[in-house]
Amino acid sequence: MTFRHLPTFLAGLLVSAVLATPGAAAALDRAAVVAGLCGNAGQMFEAAAALTATAATGSDEDRAWALALPRALIEKTLACDAAGAVLGNGRLDAVSRVVREPAPDARAPVLSLKNRAVFEQADAALALRSTPDAGARAAALRMLERRPATIPEGLLDAAAARESDPALKAQIEGLAQTAALNASDPTARLRAIGRIAENPSRRALAQMAELTRDPAYATNADFRAAIDAATRRIERGIAIGDVLAALYNGLSFASILFMAAIGLAIIFGLMGVINLAQGELIMIGAYVTWMVQQGLRAVAPALLDWYLILAIPVAFVVTAAIGIALEALLLRHLYKRPLMSLLATWAVSLFLVNLVRVVFGTQNMQFETPFYVSGGVPVIGDFIFTWNRMFAIAFAVVTLALTWAIVRKTPLGLNIRAVTQNRDMAACIGIPTRSVDRMAFGLGSGLAGLAGLALSPIYSVNPQMGQNFIIDSFMVVVLGGVGTIAGTVVAALGIGQINVLIEPLWGAVAAKVIVLLMIIAFLQWRPEGLFAVKGRRK
Amino acid sequence: MVKFTRRSFLQASGVAAAGLASPIGMPALLRSAQAQSGPVKLGCLFSSSGTMANLEGRLNYVVKMAADEINAKGGVNGRTIDVLVSDPASDWPLYAQTAKQMLQQEKVSALFGCWTSVSRKTVLPVVEQEKGLLYYPLHFEGDENSKNVVYVNSPPASSVLPAVDYLMSEEGVSAKRFFMLGSDYVWPRTINKQLKGYWKSKGIPESAWKEEYVPFGFSNFQTLVNQIRAFADQGGGQPVVVLTVVGNSIPDFMREFANQGILATDIPVLGLDMVEADLEGLDTSKLVGHLNCWAYLQNAKGPANETFLKNWAGYVTAKNVPFKGDVSIDPMVSAYDSVHLWAMAAQKAGSFEVPEVSKAFAGLTFDCPSGYKIAMTGENNYVSRGVFIGSVNDKQGFDILWQSKDTPKPVPFSPYG
Repeated sequence: MTFRHLPTFLAGLLVSAVLATPGAAAALDRAAVVAGLCGNAGQMFEAAAALTATAATGSDEDRAWALALPRALIEKTLACDAAGAVLGNGRLDAVSRVVREPAPDARAPVLSLKNRAVFEQADAALALRSTPDAGARAAALRMLERRPATIPEGLLDAAAARESDPALKAQIEGLAQTAALNASDPTARLRAIGRIAENPSRRALAQMAELTRDPAYATNADFRAAIDAATRRIERGIAIGDVLAALYNGLSFASILFMAAIGLAIIFGLMGVINLAQGELIMIGAYVTWMVQQGLRAVAPALLDWYLILAIPVAFVVTAAIGIALEALLLRHLYKRPLMSLLATWAVSLFLVNLVRVVFGTQNMQFETPFYVSGGVPVIGDFIFTWNRMFAIAFAVVTLALTWAIVRKTPLGLNIRAVTQNRDMAACIGIPTRSVDRMAFGLGSGLAGLAGLALSPIYSVNPQMGQNFIIDSFMVVVLGGVGTIAGTVVAALGIGQINVLIEPLWGAVAAKVIVLLMIIAFLQWRPEGLFAVKGRRK
Repeated sequence: MVKFTRRSFLQASGVAAAGLASPIGMPALLRSAQAQSGPVKLGCLFSSSGTMANLEGRLNYVVKMAADEINAKGGVNGRTIDVLVSDPASDWPLYAQTAKQMLQQEKVSALFGCWTSVSRKTVLPVVEQEKGLLYYPLHFEGDENSKNVVYVNSPPASSVLPAVDYLMSEEGVSAKRFFMLGSDYVWPRTINKQLKGYWKSKGIPESAWKEEYVPFGFSNFQTLVNQIRAFADQGGGQPVVVLTVVGNSIPDFMREFANQGILATDIPVLGLDMVEADLEGLDTSKLVGHLNCWAYLQNAKGPANETFLKNWAGYVTAKNVPFKGDVSIDPMVSAYDSVHLWAMAAQKAGSFEVPEVSKAFAGLTFDCPSGYKIAMTGENNYVSRGVFIGSVNDKQGFDILWQSKDTPKPVPFSPYG
């Protein structure tokens, strides 16, 4: 590798003179590159290599010319015809950049999987050197980091030399040091090892394992010490990452279970009604969220990204209203007949599923993914902190706090607790038990609607989605002890965490079975669940 | 006790009955047209409710569309076709029950149906016992050859293996390591068993693959995607995921996969049951490049496909079909081919009796919308189809990455199982 810290223009010329390869020469054969882009898979591969080489060693003019090409291929906006190719919607000829119309029989080449990788690489390499937008350059650097072994020599040094953003410059230099792992200079190698150990991952561990087979590992004591230290550090990082990932996965699954179960806990706890339509209220919450999104798209497109937040009151109110209507029209007639109420709510659930199926169809609904629920950040080891799960966790925590506040701190909550403990006595001291029932049913249904909203960035939304949750949420409610919020929280955390711990060991199928068996065994020992309230159903 | 009035009882039981009547209990057979002078009946076994509804539901309409086309040309043997539709509600035993009812009571001449292999396996003893004929439009695990089933789509040797070969080739990604993730039932397990046998025959060590199964309808893929990343990062060559989960597990998996920042160029996913309809509702810009393999893709070139797409779009508008008119998937085309293949066999036999129709299979050819001339031989009830490998694009569809020169001869029993 050449480390020349000369003015970049000179460096570019010198390096290209040293590494003169066909296509990477100072004067790029532009027509040949475009012909390659429109050629067969092998020719496309070579054209991409030429573009990547241009990014490292080509002239400024060639780089500026090449910048748009890989992206056009990735986005399928390059139209190939007999006379060459036309770029994108600007109707520019790919070679001369003169405006012209593509021929009517023009075709957009499809990238094979192998070529997609080299074009992503070429795109990132060119963008890192030539894009004026610092954000785009940072994104390009992240793309290059995915495959450090294939970064062309000289690219990172040249990019760092000309980088104006100091933070990005430091990052580029860091990556350049990492990429020097197989360099001939021993100090550069040691520095690369140190750099790699700073970001522990299984991939880094595999790299270190490979280096132990390097001849220098046996002969050079410094090198061996560095490798061993790095390996220990990486292993520690991976172990921490794995523990964090297990906790996070467990927490995220628990938040889903909790959201699905909390509404049921209130309804079941208060009235002893086994509401089989709870899953469908979750589904309706998700559909309401979708409708809010569509409404915003039509009325206020600027706010579209915030539909998940803006839909919160709507989803709650709509599902709560459905719950109250359900209670007023149907369930209040059936309170002393648990079997009838079970059948009636089952019927309601089937009715709602089919109603949604007829109105919206059976397909999965299309949701926008706003920035705050897309992607994730790597933390340590192989632990990635994904934002959609974080959204669900945060949502569950806020819901928990609000539910707790309502039940503990408001007159309605006081009434709910009184009725739960002793319905007859509560009625005797003048609490309107019927209207408390109705409000509580509304609250429970509204919470199910919120669950639908929180789950829409994670799961597919379709008429069947509610049925997945009903069994899980009953498990949580029964295990937690009927009608206690604390029980619901602890049971959700327990089931979520145990599931996540068993899954990697014995698989997802076994995890489900084992969790079910554990719950059965636990209920044999404590039929009233984790936290029992002394209630009227004793 | 609350006083239980007659009114409240009627309210409750009325709602209960309305709900119960539809997807559970005995499926109601719906007659599509008024009985003409002796129309010949065909039966459909595709669910319009439950997990498979979104995929299977549209096949009912394709069968009807194909029947309408044939009726417009004067029917078969001078008789028009009447299509009976049912709803087995994604409940596997109900497929067998419905098939029995259609064969015994309605005396249908042929059945068109099933998506999952588990539903086909439940119907199999019924059609064999009743000496019926079932056209099965999905690519599947092979290892079955009943004279009462016509396997219209491809066994693994002409669908999965070419795709895996492509991934392992220099032209593909030179795949060296394989993570198999499937729903826990017969199709994924058999496919994976055959793949393992195939890799063994290529000298690939057992340490190069890993196999995981999830329950039907599973959607929480966080831990599994973590496992896939850990598997990929162990080094030892390009990893790929062979995905055989079905139904809603497909979009849920792909969403989580993209969300953890994995690109198709890092770890490609070969989704064996993934069709255009599974991408509805997903942001596919982060999934571009993942693969599937079928005997038809919507982007197939040729006049037969143009006609089919135009007719389907027209049918959706005219009959107010609750599915998208601009989405066409392989099983739809295979179901469409099935009806035409049956009509040609019946015409050739001059009869609707199953033994006569079966005898007429040898030598049938049909211009499939995929652009291939598909054909049957007298050897078995398999149909030779073309092979496509598709690549997810950013418009929720698939670009054609590779397609076979002609239609390979189907191999029912895998030598690798």
